[in-house]
Amino acid sequence: MMLALVRPDSWNLPLFLHVLGATVLVGAIGATVLIAVRAPAWRRLLVRTIGFLVLPAWVLMRFAGQWIDSRENVPGDPAWLGVGFIVGDAGLVLLVVMALIAWWGLRRPERRWPVRAVAAISGLYLIALFVAMWAMTTKPD
Amino acid sequence: MDTYDWLLFLHVLGAFLVLGGAVLAGVFNFAALRRERPSEIAMLFKFARVGVVSIGIGMVLTLALGLWLVHHVGYGWGQTWIVLALVLWVLANALGGIGGGREKKTRELAERLAAEGDAPSAELTARLRDPVWLALSWGSGIVVLVILALMIWKPGT
Repeated sequence: MMLALVRPDSWNLPLFLHVLGATVLVGAIGATVLIAVRAPAWRRLLVRTIGFLVLPAWVLMRFAGQWIDSRENVPGDPAWLGVGFIVGDAGLVLLVVMALIAWWGLRRPERRWPVRAVAAISGLYLIALFVAMWAMTTKPD
Repeated sequence: MDTYDWLLFLHVLGAFLVLGGAVLAGVFNFAALRRERPSEIAMLFKFARVGVVSIGIGMVLTLALGLWLVHHVGYGWGQTWIVLALVLWVLANALGGIGGGREKKTRELAERLAAEGDAPSAELTARLRDPVWLALSWGSGIVVLVILALMIWKPGT
């Protein structure tokens, strides 16, 4: 247990940025879910939240994660790291698709499906983020 | 998963609820600054309440599980990062609590104006741009970020 508590100083900045990006991403995705479900008419706010907060937070989380991975040099291919990479990398595809759908929905306000799709994707991704957080924190074998 | 894993997971979950909740509330408070209709502002403040509840639950989790972790791992109670984190936790709550009180009054004003015709109001706009409220809200968020930094760097260990 104590090994997990000892960390070289050079890992601290990337870890801080990784956690900061992940927490901002959770909050921004939460806001996206809330807007899409409770205020579907506010499509400009939806697009701005995704464009100005969700995507930049993902970039910070993912690149800082890669930075710490390059420092930590984890031996083997543990499941917890795999979960992190899947939620991170597959998440980008989901987030880009979600951003495009939200933008499409802004240009076609008469259509309801884009906002519903954004609500479904963001809701699923929020759950995935918490699963990744559990895996990255507890590091199960 | 052993006891340490559970404690750490719940402690980190608490931190995510605090910082994520602050971001969520920030999104809606910022959006409210750009609106004029009281009904829209009232709705945005209602959404921001979700973030405030998340922050409240997260604050309790981080403190309770954090204290348990210190005891479980055997850190010294007098270590710099632990003492500083506890002092800043109280400060963040105080700033957030005072700011939250002002936010509640602004939300109540927006709801009243929305029920009375929903016309834009100079008083509501002034409250939304109140520098004291903005300083308290942002200050509380910055203090929480400093606590996160303390948890990672652990100065004085």
